[in-house]
Amino acid sequence: MNALKKKAGRVLLYVTVVFTCIVLVFPVYWMFNTSLAPTMQLRAFPPRFFPVDPQWNIYAKVLFERPMPTWLLNSTIVALGATMISMVVSVLAGYSLSRYRVKGSKGVGIFILTSRMLPATLIVIPLFVLFRQANLIGSLWSLVIAHTTFIIPFATWMLKGYFDSIPVDLEEAAMIDGCNPISALYRVILPLSAPGIAATALYGFILSWDDFVYARTFLASRQSAWTVTVGISTIKGEYITGWNEIMAAALLGALPILVMYLFLERYLVGGLSAGAVK
Amino acid sequence: MTETMKAESTQAHSRFSLWRPSNQSLLAYLLMLPAVLITLAVIAYPIVSAIDLSFQEIKIVQVGRERFPWTLANYAHLFTSSEFWKATWVTLKLVTIATLGCLVLGLSTAMLVNQRFRGRTIARILVALPWAVPSVMAAVIWWWMFDSSFGLINWLLVKAHIISSPIAWFSSPTTAFFVICVVMIWKGYPFVSVMLLAGLQSIPGDLYEAAQIDGANTWNRFRYITLPSLSPVMGIALILVILWVFRDFAIIWLLTGGGPIGATRTLAIMTYEQAFGFYNMGYAASIGMVTLVISLIASIVMIRRFSTSIY
Amino acid sequence: MYKKVLLFILLAGMLLTVAACTGAQPAADTAQTDGTGGAADATGAPIVLKFISWQVDESGVGDWWNKAIAEFESAHPGVKIEFTKVGRDQYVDTMTTLFVSGDAPEIVHLASFEYPQFADQGWLEDLDPWVEQSDLDLNGWAGQEKCVWNGETDCIMLLYFGFVMVYNQGMFEEAGLDVPTNYEEYLAAARALTKDTDGDGIIEQFGTGHHTVAGNQYLTEMLNYVVDTGAYWTDAEGKAAVNTPEMIEALGHWKTILQENLTPLDLGAGDIRQLLAEGKIAMHPDGPWIWGIVKGAEPEVFEQLKFARVPFTVPVGGSSNVIAMKKDMSQEKKELVWDFIELITSQPYQEDFALLGGMPAPRPNAVPANIYEEVPHFDLLVEAQQEAAAAGIDRLPKGLETDYNEFAKIVIEQMQNMIINDLPPEEVANTLQQLTEELQARE
Repeated sequence: MNALKKKAGRVLLYVTVVFTCIVLVFPVYWMFNTSLAPTMQLRAFPPRFFPVDPQWNIYAKVLFERPMPTWLLNSTIVALGATMISMVVSVLAGYSLSRYRVKGSKGVGIFILTSRMLPATLIVIPLFVLFRQANLIGSLWSLVIAHTTFIIPFATWMLKGYFDSIPVDLEEAAMIDGCNPISALYRVILPLSAPGIAATALYGFILSWDDFVYARTFLASRQSAWTVTVGISTIKGEYITGWNEIMAAALLGALPILVMYLFLERYLVGGLSAGAVK
Repeated sequence: MTETMKAESTQAHSRFSLWRPSNQSLLAYLLMLPAVLITLAVIAYPIVSAIDLSFQEIKIVQVGRERFPWTLANYAHLFTSSEFWKATWVTLKLVTIATLGCLVLGLSTAMLVNQRFRGRTIARILVALPWAVPSVMAAVIWWWMFDSSFGLINWLLVKAHIISSPIAWFSSPTTAFFVICVVMIWKGYPFVSVMLLAGLQSIPGDLYEAAQIDGANTWNRFRYITLPSLSPVMGIALILVILWVFRDFAIIWLLTGGGPIGATRTLAIMTYEQAFGFYNMGYAASIGMVTLVISLIASIVMIRRFSTSIY
Repeated sequence: MYKKVLLFILLAGMLLTVAACTGAQPAADTAQTDGTGGAADATGAPIVLKFISWQVDESGVGDWWNKAIAEFESAHPGVKIEFTKVGRDQYVDTMTTLFVSGDAPEIVHLASFEYPQFADQGWLEDLDPWVEQSDLDLNGWAGQEKCVWNGETDCIMLLYFGFVMVYNQGMFEEAGLDVPTNYEEYLAAARALTKDTDGDGIIEQFGTGHHTVAGNQYLTEMLNYVVDTGAYWTDAEGKAAVNTPEMIEALGHWKTILQENLTPLDLGAGDIRQLLAEGKIAMHPDGPWIWGIVKGAEPEVFEQLKFARVPFTVPVGGSSNVIAMKKDMSQEKKELVWDFIELITSQPYQEDFALLGGMPAPRPNAVPANIYEEVPHFDLLVEAQQEAAAAGIDRLPKGLETDYNEFAKIVIEQMQNMIINDLPPEEVANTLQQLTEELQARE
């Protein structure tokens, strides 16, 4: 009886898991399925749940008849640049906030955090004027700089939490061995926080890739500098809307993030929340 | 570069006082400096100029134009405008529902993939997958699925006899708001799920065993062990999700543009619409400032509440 | 102290190194800006004229632009036109931001309902002196009077159009219906042709098709019914005239079409046109540009799609888009931009426009001999254009030129309100009248 109950429980668990996964991931699958459907079947009833007659050439069309490779490259450069700058800055700031209780450090922490609360729709115009004066409009640098401002607050905060979870004794031991705080950070803390740094960097990368408001405002005038989100929003053009093409482009635009996510997923759990979990 | 630094530091150790405990605060400030500088440079100027703008009755901002006199007109207009109060209400409603949805779905998925079963690694990857779909793409795909005439969701609901004829999702305030909530939750829950999963893993197993011996049932174990242990990490997740919903622009803008009859017009959307749709940039700045103040107050309250887990 | 400074430099250096390793190298090629203007010839660097448009990759007109750019560049060695696409739904936002920051394109392309806002800011060059000293004759140039703002000619009209109706012949034959010629017939046909063909509770075929999501296009679609009853948003003096019996009737018609779901709901113009090309819509009033979409339909649908006069007393019509010149730039660049404007307004290019774009060009008598081979329904387009022009119809209401976006938002919200809450058109017309008066009083 008890064994039977246990078995039923197992079955129920598996059913729940499979059902949940299918429901939650379905939109991504549907994006893929739609991208491969022939134009005339996009709105067919009943809908085709599997690509019966896959039109792979739509991907070639999206990739080669539009500057999609350039857009992907631009997004990658911006996201990499913004993430790396942010990570260096945030590791230092997060370490300082975690290890030193100095006057004003709490204030600095809150100040950095509040910058994340600014509505992007509010600051985009002044920022535009600022970058214009620095002659950065149409340059990827404008985005790199703008994105660091919303990655740094998040990353600093997360890394501070992660550093908090690493016992101070380890650095103290290293410092007795002759390390100064910076080399202790470099030699002891950084290797230990690799999962946290990987998770935070992935999150920063996603934030940057996700951006739409800044990218479209700063780079609109220069098609060769567009990021992939701007590019996709314009494929949804005025005169005719081809959903298979939009879906193919959207999937290609999400692919780099999806792949990165698959490789870094194992660092995520724990990496993001160590500080809060402790 | 490391070599230089090492050389520098060994040399420093003998004479340079910065490493000494007495000078720790200086080092602490130096380490924070780059973050503070960058934040200041790209945030402080826009804020100051937004404050300045919000006190001017200005349509379009332009470099080198003469300034307008300072006035409270924008704020007066704002607080007497029913549209503003509606947008505030919509924002609060959306923040509450979407955040709760993210928490519930995040917690249940986290608890689900925290069970022991075969294929757990894959399940964990799949459950948090929507996190890796950029907002613009998420809006595009859901728009297609919720299409009022040829969308998949209508077809499924009609086939399942849940509805008799297709719903025009974006034509009614209730359904449009519902769609926005669904998309926000779908995009926002994985983050909560990942954070909470970590939290769950850090709860010592013997706590549960002890409770079981004491005869606590599943609900009581959840209520008295799981929830309290998760509360700090939940607090952080909560703040981040709330801020995200508060600021989000892309999803709502691409899906409904704030309509119908303002049912999905949040403060962020209203700011943008006034600034770029109607060129009332002074007025838009005043909306933005109010939004900023609201989110500041909300975060300060919450940081206080969860301060033990953060600072 | 020295050491502290050194440490700071070290930290900064570390940052910079990382930044430089990862940095945005492609930024290097983006340094071209206004600064190069006058000195360009001396250094040998090309002069770049920026030209932003939503028509870059549109079939027909896009080809026409590219042809003109190629010819211009070969006639002006050392000058390059940088032709960039910005999507229609974000066009005004982008252009506004660019003008605000002083980074606007030299060649300014705008929809005619957007143009007054830019002219009103003083951003556009007065073209009167340029026209005077050139051979361009604007007499009889369709819609050109719309380009006069505050007594200055700030643009040249590129297209003045009248709506025609595309219908699916097969659907009409199958239902045994005639092509409608007035609103009553049109409504009857729309009702008869909106069908759930397989009985599953979902409509697969729609009688008509309208853009019903927010945006200025919503007003254009409504205008079909508004001009049909002889109503308009404002009177001849530009005063709000929304609570007239004609307008109330028109609002009732619009309500019927949407409430009975005779059009697919919640779709933008791009989707509606796609549905027409897929053979899922029976009738669709639209501008001459619809030819590009009809031509792109699958052969079996293409055969069925025919053109007819709209079934309304007057077709929707008006100015479509304009070309203008940025005011704030060097004389040298202005001359180049004017050369470009002269080129595209010349007789051969205007004829090409009719051929490639499939629409009547604004220049009088710019009708190439072989137009009927390329555009079989050309006469219909010309008639619609003339009919709309004779009735003085335009999409941009007089007296609301600089508030058009906000006016559109007010109208759309009231329409949604009327349909969602099932309000009588009289009541909505009164509310709308009051809101429009308030909007106008704010100026």
